Amino acid sequence: MTNINDPWRDDEVTRTLNDLPPVDPPSTLVNDVMSTIASRSAARATHSSFVPTKRGGNMAKKVLWIVAATAALALIAMRLVGYPPVEKGTEATIGAAQRYQSPQISSADVKTQDAQLQAFLQSDVFRQLTTDKTARQALKNQDFQKALQDPAVRAALASSDVRFVIGNLRVADAAALAKSDVKSLAKSDVRFQAALDASPSLKAAFESSPALRAALASQDVIAAMNSKALDAVLSKADVAMLVSSDVVLRAVLSAPDAALDAATAAGSAAGGVKRDAVGVVAK
Amino acid sequence: MDDTEDAALIARCLGGHQDAYEAIVTRYQRGLFTVALRMLGNYEDARDATQNAFVKAYEHLNTFDPNQRFFSWLFRILKNECLNVLRARRPSQEVSLDMPSVRAADPVEVRERQKAIQTALMSLSTEYREVVVLRHYTDLSYDDIAVALGIPATKVKSRLYTARQQLGELLMDWRVAR
Repeated sequence: MTNINDPWRDDEVTRTLNDLPPVDPPSTLVNDVMSTIASRSAARATHSSFVPTKRGGNMAKKVLWIVAATAALALIAMRLVGYPPVEKGTEATIGAAQRYQSPQISSADVKTQDAQLQAFLQSDVFRQLTTDKTARQALKNQDFQKALQDPAVRAALASSDVRFVIGNLRVADAAALAKSDVKSLAKSDVRFQAALDASPSLKAAFESSPALRAALASQDVIAAMNSKALDAVLSKADVAMLVSSDVVLRAVLSAPDAALDAATAAGSAAGGVKRDAVGVVAK
Repeated sequence: MDDTEDAALIARCLGGHQDAYEAIVTRYQRGLFTVALRMLGNYEDARDATQNAFVKAYEHLNTFDPNQRFFSWLFRILKNECLNVLRARRPSQEVSLDMPSVRAADPVEVRERQKAIQTALMSLSTEYREVVVLRHYTDLSYDDIAVALGIPATKVKSRLYTARQQLGELLMDWRVAR
């Protein structure tokens, strides 16, 4: 054992570390970065008409809603007016068809949520989630689980800026946030105030969800904001809502590490849900 | 180029002038890549982490607080990229320490020595490795390192002290083994 207080050792260590020469970055790095940025910007511009803007404008969605509403109104009007008229001789046929179909399909039997769940449990996003240790570690956190059940939190976390700010919170800020209220931390920390100013939805989520603040005491949760698997989940509020459900959480957290086993678990979990849905319909 | 020039370039980027970011990348690529390389010990991983960090920084430039140093902010993004790479590595995965810094033209002894130093760095825990890397391979002061890591300057010094002790032990073992 050497004497750790021996002063020459520090000098020796410094000299040794200086033996590692400066390294030139790859000559293509600047070009690679700039071309990636350019291609991403171009992709974003191409899809801009379909992506909600900061002001919430989304023409494609608006048009879709208008068309759907018009179609619904037209159907209702046709029903009330009695158009198209039923010709003589066809009543019996229509009556028989209605009598035959009615017991099979009813609005109560259509399990949209179950169908979404099945689709999600068999999706690549779910498979990635089950094999991403960082994401799974975060989802084990009960505060984070609770926070995800809050629509305001899900809406805030859907923003990549918000995930970025949380993912790059300083350890001290995150710990202070978990302990104190948002306003007092913002007063004492200029950087944190700037982050809040840049993300009003983050501010709203922090203020409305004590669970989210408590979850930030865990470095796992902060690290998970940089996880690609969780990114894919949180970026879509409907998927995030599914992940906050007990069924999906159980499936994610109980899945083995190996991708193959995870896929099997997803399949069997989806099968279970399907059987339940079939059971309801059969009754 | 100083912090004021950084601020001007960032303001131009935020104003939609993508070309201004090229100057920022050019300025910081060496420092950031060196940190990534020493943190990851692998040339390809370091290149990917550096590139991802620059791209992410650009995409989230609106969240940058001009009151802090740009490199400190960049470093925090890079650190998360490095942690992602390290987490993705399997515990038993061998990391190739062959990199351009260990030039074939160097004498064998020099190459072995450089490899031993990088191996010793990789043996440190992430929190110790990052303080050593920031202190020895960037021009950040203790205060800047403290801001970048989000810990008090006193803690930076104590971590650095412990890290250097551990490095000393590791390198001593290597010398004795030879």
